Amino acid sequence: MRNELFSRRRERPGGFWFIWRMPLALALATVLGLFAALLDAGPWRALAWAALALPLAVVVHCAVRALCGERPLPPPGA
Amino acid sequence: MSVMSARALARWRWVHEWSSLVCTVFLLMLCLTGLPLIFHDEIDGWLQPDAPVAAAGMQHSAASAPDMDAVIELVRQAYPGRSVQFVVWLDEPGRFRVGLSRNAQQQGQKPFALVDGVNRRIVGEAWSEKDWRNGGAMSVLLMLHTNLLMGQGAQLFLGAMGVLFVVSLVSGTVIYAPFMRRLAFGTVRTGQSRRLAWLDLHNLLGIAGLLWMLVVGLSGAINTLDATIFGAWQKSVAQQLKLEFAAARPVPRPQGLHKAVDEALALLPHRQVSFVAFPGSMFATPRHYAVYLKGDSTLTSRLLHPVLVDSESGALVDVGDPPWFLWALEVSRPLHFGDYGGLPLKILWAGFDLLAIAVLGSGVYLWVARRRRPPARACGHAK
Repeated sequence: MRNELFSRRRERPGGFWFIWRMPLALALATVLGLFAALLDAGPWRALAWAALALPLAVVVHCAVRALCGERPLPPPGA
Repeated sequence: MSVMSARALARWRWVHEWSSLVCTVFLLMLCLTGLPLIFHDEIDGWLQPDAPVAAAGMQHSAASAPDMDAVIELVRQAYPGRSVQFVVWLDEPGRFRVGLSRNAQQQGQKPFALVDGVNRRIVGEAWSEKDWRNGGAMSVLLMLHTNLLMGQGAQLFLGAMGVLFVVSLVSGTVIYAPFMRRLAFGTVRTGQSRRLAWLDLHNLLGIAGLLWMLVVGLSGAINTLDATIFGAWQKSVAQQLKLEFAAARPVPRPQGLHKAVDEALALLPHRQVSFVAFPGSMFATPRHYAVYLKGDSTLTSRLLHPVLVDSESGALVDVGDPPWFLWALEVSRPLHFGDYGGLPLKILWAGFDLLAIAVLGSGVYLWVARRRRPPARACGHAK
């Protein structure tokens, strides 16, 4: 399945988790990163870098996937 | 989650459209000037390799702490006509930046003297970073970013634009759901119209960078209030000291800085001096030194705690914990600048900044594209 990573529950499109699972995960990672770096140097810093890199990595992944011509199916009902 | 009614959706779209339209030009300017400002320290070090580099994390050792009274005497002898306004403890131990009053008649007076307290000599003078007319390109960028080179009013205006940006982010998030009801996260429909591809990209970039944009936008808006916030704090302190103020007479050449600093440090151990505002200057009272202490860990080094010391009697005035709005200002500073987690954090900050530029740019494109091709139901707009 092409979009397996991002929509494990695609059997229920339109539901709350279908729409919000990834946005919430990325928001959580961002907040974690922003505040982990405030805590102290060392492991917290590395955690902050990793957590903040996550949303950017997801964006790059999705953009590259789209640009490489892997066309998603038209939305159901379209 | 219940399905949003068509009317509610239309209303949120209107809010998103107009809050974005008003603030986009300013936000684009802020993102573009902000991009090089993320690497302010690195660029400064590269432009002026001789300048003392602020070495982060260096500790002041008590053993080599210079006699502050001697430092002040040295500065007063070198600048007899000017009064000392404040002293900043620089990251390099034993180095100080001393703020001096300026004579309005004399052009070209630099406001800061840089002092080597260990060897007791003045090593140079400096302009304020905010004085863009005398500063370099980075100083101009900084002030463009702060107030469009147009002073306090424009700074508050940019703060209002920041608030609108937050409104646009919130409304954008509300209308994200109806768009994504039947679309897997991250889908970009490239096969159909160009507008559809950009709409998907706008949604993807906007939702992925949402929290970063919220935090940086909000903390930036709070930063625009810094003069106001310090003013409010001064007022609250002034009220606390009202009786003393009634009889207060200004102290023209205050003495006893060293003792004042020692007393403040004794009151709050495990702290370092950030700066001391002199009696009669902006951040102190007419007769008290305001000793601003900071913590010694990464988190608490951002939180300034002022202690007032009477410049004549040496009596401490317990100001109490800083009020919440001072705390909000101090925490919002690093969260806006992204300078608290090493170079990798700055690079991530730049990545998010570019992402924000793409969100703003695609938003403008979507708006223009929709105007060019109005939906079929829209009528009465015949030209």
